[in-house]
This record gives sequence, structure tokens and C-alpha cells, in this order.
Amino acid sequence: MMLLIWLVMTLFFLSSSISYELTTKTEHMPDIILTQTKAGREGFVDEKIVDHILEIEGVSRAYAYIKAPYQFKEDISFTIFGVDPFEEIDDPFIAHLLERYNLESGSMLVSHDVKELMKKAYYTKEFNFIRPDGSLKRVQIAKEFDTKNAPHYRWLIVMSKEDARDILGLAGSEATNIAIDVANKLETPLIAAKLKEYYPNAKVVTKKEQKLLYEQSFNFYSGTFLILFSITLLTFFIIIYDRLSGMSSEERREIGILKAIGWRIEDVLGAKFYEAFFIAVFSYIAGVSIAYLYVFYLKAPLLGNIFLHDAFLQTQQFSLAPHIEFFYLFLVFLLVVPLYFAAVIIPAWRVATLDADEVMR
Amino acid sequence: MIRLEGVTKEYAGGVYALREIDLELREGELVVLKGVSGSGKSTILSLIAGLSKPSKGRVVVDGKEISRLPDHFCATFRRDNIGIIFQKYNLIADLSVAENILLPLYPANLPKGELQKRLKQLLETFHIEDKQESLVKSLSGGQQQRVAIARAKINHPKIILADEPTANLDEKLSREFIEILKNLKSQNRTIIIATHDPLFFDLDFVDRYITLQHGKIVDDNT
Amino acid sequence: MITPEIITITVLDVLFFIFGSVGFFIALKIIFFYDVKATTQRQYALEKQSYLSATIIKFLLFFKTISFFFFVYTLNKLSLFLPGAMCAAGVVNALSSGTALLLLKILNLYIFAFWIVLHNEDMEYEQQPYLKAKFVFYSVAYLLLVTEIALELNFFYSLDPSSVVDCCGAIFSTTDGSYLASLLAVDFSYQLSVFYLLYGLIVLFYLLKNRYLFAVINLLFVIAALITLISFFGTYIYELPTHHCPFCMLQADYYYIGYFLYLFLFLGTFNGISVGILAFKKEKELAKFRYALFFNTLYLLCVSYFPLAYYLKNGMWL
Repeated sequence: MMLLIWLVMTLFFLSSSISYELTTKTEHMPDIILTQTKAGREGFVDEKIVDHILEIEGVSRAYAYIKAPYQFKEDISFTIFGVDPFEEIDDPFIAHLLERYNLESGSMLVSHDVKELMKKAYYTKEFNFIRPDGSLKRVQIAKEFDTKNAPHYRWLIVMSKEDARDILGLAGSEATNIAIDVANKLETPLIAAKLKEYYPNAKVVTKKEQKLLYEQSFNFYSGTFLILFSITLLTFFIIIYDRLSGMSSEERREIGILKAIGWRIEDVLGAKFYEAFFIAVFSYIAGVSIAYLYVFYLKAPLLGNIFLHDAFLQTQQFSLAPHIEFFYLFLVFLLVVPLYFAAVIIPAWRVATLDADEVMR
Repeated sequence: MIRLEGVTKEYAGGVYALREIDLELREGELVVLKGVSGSGKSTILSLIAGLSKPSKGRVVVDGKEISRLPDHFCATFRRDNIGIIFQKYNLIADLSVAENILLPLYPANLPKGELQKRLKQLLETFHIEDKQESLVKSLSGGQQQRVAIARAKINHPKIILADEPTANLDEKLSREFIEILKNLKSQNRTIIIATHDPLFFDLDFVDRYITLQHGKIVDDNT
Repeated sequence: MITPEIITITVLDVLFFIFGSVGFFIALKIIFFYDVKATTQRQYALEKQSYLSATIIKFLLFFKTISFFFFVYTLNKLSLFLPGAMCAAGVVNALSSGTALLLLKILNLYIFAFWIVLHNEDMEYEQQPYLKAKFVFYSVAYLLLVTEIALELNFFYSLDPSSVVDCCGAIFSTTDGSYLASLLAVDFSYQLSVFYLLYGLIVLFYLLKNRYLFAVINLLFVIAALITLISFFGTYIYELPTHHCPFCMLQADYYYIGYFLYLFLFLGTFNGISVGILAFKKEKELAKFRYALFFNTLYLLCVSYFPLAYYLKNGMWL
């Protein structure tokens, strides 16, 4: 019973923490992000179209940036963020970084974790990136920054656009995304539609759509997990039922005694459900607590990997900051407790309605 | 006070525990039911206690036709009026002496003070005050017997039923029991004892001896 | 749409259906074969089964009540996925069966609660006068339960996140041609007079202890209360003359006041209606009268507080 609750609760802590992270991530996204597709795949966008976009009525700001993964090892990729330090950036974290530190061509700002990893590879003041054609590009490490408050930027590297283009193999004015801000937020769908018209090959995603996408794919994913768990639940149900159905002769005798001394059927049932209630509540609290510790302190070894093994999220490591959503606590409660009680009903009733005259013999 | 009218009790498989029994017991009587095992003594007790219902006939106790009462009324009636002493004491081994004695009254929701008062009284009467918190399984045979009797008295019953109360006792404890019985008799309760222990067969304070054989009354001696 | 919430609701519904059906079969057997005078094995078995049925129904009521809150929470959560919906009201209106589902769920709560009251009353008497009646009643309740489950599953599995729905501003507007709109368009003073008048009648029949009229008035009162809550009082809770949603007041922004209001209203009217249906023993009946009056009064005071507070604070009505 506890095991079951623990499993399900882990699931929910994971999912709620991650979705919370995603939400915070998308908070500061620009209103619209435009990317290009070529032959159905994600391609590059030409920076020059920014001028054209700025001409659209209602657009308050538009700029191109580069955001792409750079493979460091098999299981870790850095996120390279190429910006123009003189352009205003939506993301407050990055904007703040640029304010504090001077970004020059040929140098970069790296996160603490990136710095550590580079240090392990014996790179302390600079790093050699490998271009797509195999040649090396050296970039100085200007400063490192702390990502405690922005866990989704754990592997972030900020550098100039030119350097990013150089490393990633982009041409002179190419970028990966164009960020567009809209003056009147209500007009966002309208402007997104216009953009789609002008650039039929482009993928235009509004902030709202992106949020929804994340949440939906996420929910669906955990939904399939839940189906699996429903099956587990059912199995548990059958096991509990089976176990409770078998009455020891000792128990039979004790119930007989109780009835002989004047306990009504309701009293016996009451006692049984009281017992069930305590077991259920206790397992619930224990299961939830253990799950909490498992996910947020131990960082969910094993199960976490199974769960996060999906490329769509584009980030590999989640820092799993403690985040509890009351709704999910409620949900797990409702999923498990009624089932447990239901499994107890018939066995409890059978016990309570035993004929007590046997005890006289 | 207690009446069985045309009572027949049949069990599955065509076994008749009682056949057409007619019996009337007065208030305050101490009655001993004699007969070998299977003669139907225990069944009569069980019917009077409302623990089972007859296949035919009626059982009336203190004016109430308990054979017709739904279970919850029956149980409440039993709780309020009847105390039972079982053959094997039938105490709950993992509970303490106090808990065992108070057990019949738990669902009654009496005020705590009242419960404690009654408990204290009984512990004193049976000289087991010092064992109040001990688990029943740690007590001797004689002590357990006294706990069982205390339990049968906690609800101030009008009727006390005892089914083979001395079956598992040695002679000394059996005689002790008979002494306690004398005491109970003086409190004007109706007491019915089912036994085949010869120690009971010629007691002067017993009002009536009823002999059963194959589910029928063959002798009724006052 | 498959989300964890919907799966939970599905699991619960399946559970309710299974156990409700067991209770139903027992109920049928009892209706047809129960005979107090019989001393047969079958009769004894039926007597035992009646306890099982009662236990199942108590189980259903208990968890249905909790799952009702969960239902409302889920509606709120789903409003994030359905474009256009800003709270549960939009979700309910996403499908035509939504309102019916909600009303049925509320009705079933009243009905199951009443069954428990009937059962407890029945157990007070040795002859168990309501025994067969209560199982006939349960059979009806069972059919309603099955309908509710079917509607609920159909509702949740038919929700389409790609079709746009109205938000509560549109649903509860007074300019729409719908039935609801015409109700809301009725002049405030008229609605409020009916509401307060009904309350006055409740007090009157409380004093006269006329249980039939008391019950009827309570029934009317709950209807009037809901209507005035949506059209008038709600707007003062939100301090917005166009905000008529009955769900938004359940959210944290309004300190969950909605839960209290609905709870008081339910407790008051439930007690009020049940005195009319059964003849209780004197003390019990009196107690029910009192509860009804108490909770209805509490509801009235709470709900009247908002417009009055607003007026006192701002010197004018919305």
C-alpha cells in the first residue's frame, strides 16, 4: 500500500516540479518565436527579415538570437546562446547577465556547472569548441555565473552571435530564432497569423501555444504512465482483497466474542473501517513523505531517468526543485484511498456478519 | 421472564439441535441445564442470548420477542441485559485486563467516569486491581476466569448465561467458581448454567435442574 | 483528452459503478424476497446483505462527496486546456451535457444523503418500517448514479482541446438569447424580493412547525439562492457587475468563499427538505428544523454581506 502510494506520488512530484519549471521557463519567453523549416525540418532563419517584421503594425520589438545545443559528451550538451549585447533581450536572466558582464567577441559567459565540467577536462581559462568541420575554435571564459535561481539554464553558455555562428556552422546572417514582442498582447494571434502568411515555411509559435504544448505533451506522457499504474493499482486491489478475504480462525473467534458480548454488526464494521482508515491515512502520509525525499533529496535515481528520457524537452537535466501542487496530492489520495476502502468493504462485512453462535461451542 | 415456545433449531445437513422445546424460566432463578455434549444445552443458551434464531417457534426474554428482532436491536438488547461466561473464557489475549472487561461497553458510548467506576468496582470484587494493565495472556487460569466473570457483569445484566464454565478448570478453581456463583445468586439475577460437570449436580442454591437429551427436555426438577 | 485527473475520475467511476451495482442487486433481492416473518436461510442471508448494501451506499456517499470537490477542481484545471475557458464555467459549457452533468451530480448528493437519513431512521425502529421502501429508493438512486457516471465519462472523453468554448462572461451574459440569460435579465429587485421572501417564509414555517410547507419552501429557496447568487450576489463577491460565474468564487483569489456558501446552503436546504419527506421522532425533527434554519440563515447573512459591505465601502451599488 505504501509502496503504491510512493510510486504514484513520486510520479506526481516529478511531473509537477517539472511542469512548474517549464512554466517559469516560458514566463519570460517572447510573445512569438519564429523559426524556419526547410524540407520539414528545423532550419535557420535569416537575420535580415527582422527589419521586415518590425514593419508589421503592433510589433514592439524583434530580434534574432541563436540558441542551440552543443554536444559536449554523449549525455551532456551545453546550450549555446548567441546574442548581440546591444539588443534588448526578453529573458531577464540573460539580460541581467549581459548588464553585469561585458561580453566581448571571442569570450563567453558560462554557468557554474559548465565551468566545472570544463575544468575537469582541463580547460580553465578558455575552451576549444569543435566546429562541424572538425576544426577548433578557442573561446575565452570571461565569467561564470550562478544558476541556482534558474535551474533550466544549468548548462548555459552566452556568447556573441558571431562566435556562436562560427562554432555552430551558421552563415553570416543566420540565426536559429527570431523573437517578437507584441505591444498589445491580445493581438498576438493576429500577428502570428500575419507572420505565417508572410513566411509560409516558418514555424510561428506564440507563448501561449508553447506553454500548452509543454503541458499537454507532458500530461499525456504522465497519462500513459498512469494507465500503467492503474493496472498496478488494480492488481493491488485484487491482492488486498484476496488477503483480507481469508479470515484466520483467530479473527473469527474474536469477532464471535465481540458479537456475543453485545457488539452490533455496525460496531464491528465500524471498528474494521476505523482500522482501514488509519492504515490508509498512515500509508498515504508515509508514501508521500518518502516520495518527497526520494524525488527532491535523492533526485530520483532510476525512476527519474525512465521518466525524463524524452528528447522533446530539449534539456537533459532538471534540477528538481521542491514544488508541491496541492491538486496532485488530492489526486493521489483519491486514486488510492477509495480503492483500498473498497477492497475492505466485502471482507469486513463478511467478518462482521458471522454467526456468533459458533463461539458458544 | 424467559420463554421458549415450540422452539426447534435445525442446522444445515438436517441436524436437529432442539426439537419442539417449551420452557419457562422465572426471574431470579438459578437453573442448571444438564446433558451430554450435543444434547442442545449450548443451543438453548445461544437462543436466549439472541445469538442465533430458531428454525421454528419463538423466544421471549423479559417481554421481548428476541427471535424476531433485527440484529442491531438484538445486539443492543444483549449488551444491556445479558452477560455471558464462556467455556474457554474467550478473552482477547492481546488486550489488557481492563480493556477486556470494558469491551462490551465500548460501542455504548457511556461517559468515561461511569466506565471507570464500574471497572474499579469489579476489579475490587474479584481482587485483580493490580493486574489492571497486564495483558490477559500473562495471567493464570484462575485470574482469567475472574476477568471473564467480571466482563460478564460490567453491563449490570439481568441475566447471566454460563456455558460449561468449569470445563477447563481444576477442582480448586471449579469450587471457587461455585462460590462466586453463590454470590451472584444472592443478587437476584436470573442465572442459567449449561454443564455436565458433576460438581453442579447437587447444589442447594440451585433452583432447578433441567436435563436435555437429543434436543428434548427429559427431566425438569425443582 | 487523457490527463491524470481524468484517469482518476474514470477509476473512481468504475469503482462506484461496480459497488453500486452490487448494492443494486442486493436491493432487488430484498425488494422481492425479504420477509420479516420467515425463518429461512435465505431470509437470514438477506438480512445480512442489507448491511452490506447500507455499507456500500455510505461508502458511495462519502467518496462521491469528496470526488465532487475533485470534479470541480478538475474542471478548473481543464480550463487551462480549453481555449476560451477561463474557469470551470467554460469547461462545463464546452459540451451540451455539461450543465446536466453538474446538476445531476448535485442532485445525487442530495439523494444519497437522504438515503442515509432514511436508513438511520429505519434502524431506529424494531419493525424497520422503511426497509423495503429504502431499497426501492436506492434502486432509483442507482439508476441516477449510472446515468451520472455515463454522462461524466462521456463528457470528459469528448472534450476537445481544439474547439473554442465560451468563458463565463459569455455564458452568463444577459444579452444572450438563452434561457439562462432571460432568467438573469429579470430585474434584480424582483429576484431579491423573492429570495428574501422565501427566507421569511422559512422562518414563518419554522415557527409554525409545518413540515410540508417548510420542505417545499426550502426547495424553492435553494433554487432562488442559486439564481440570485449567480445574477446578483456573485457580482459583489467579485466586485464586477459582469462577473456572474458560480465557480470562480471557489478559487483562492476569493478565499474559497464559494465552498462555505455552497456548504451552508446545502446543509440548510437538505435538512429543510428532509423534514417534509419523513416523519421523524420529535427531537430529531426539531433538530432538523433548527439546523435548516441555522444554516440557511448563515447562508443568507454571508451572501448579503457582500453587497452591503460594498455599498458601505463605496457609497454606491455596482
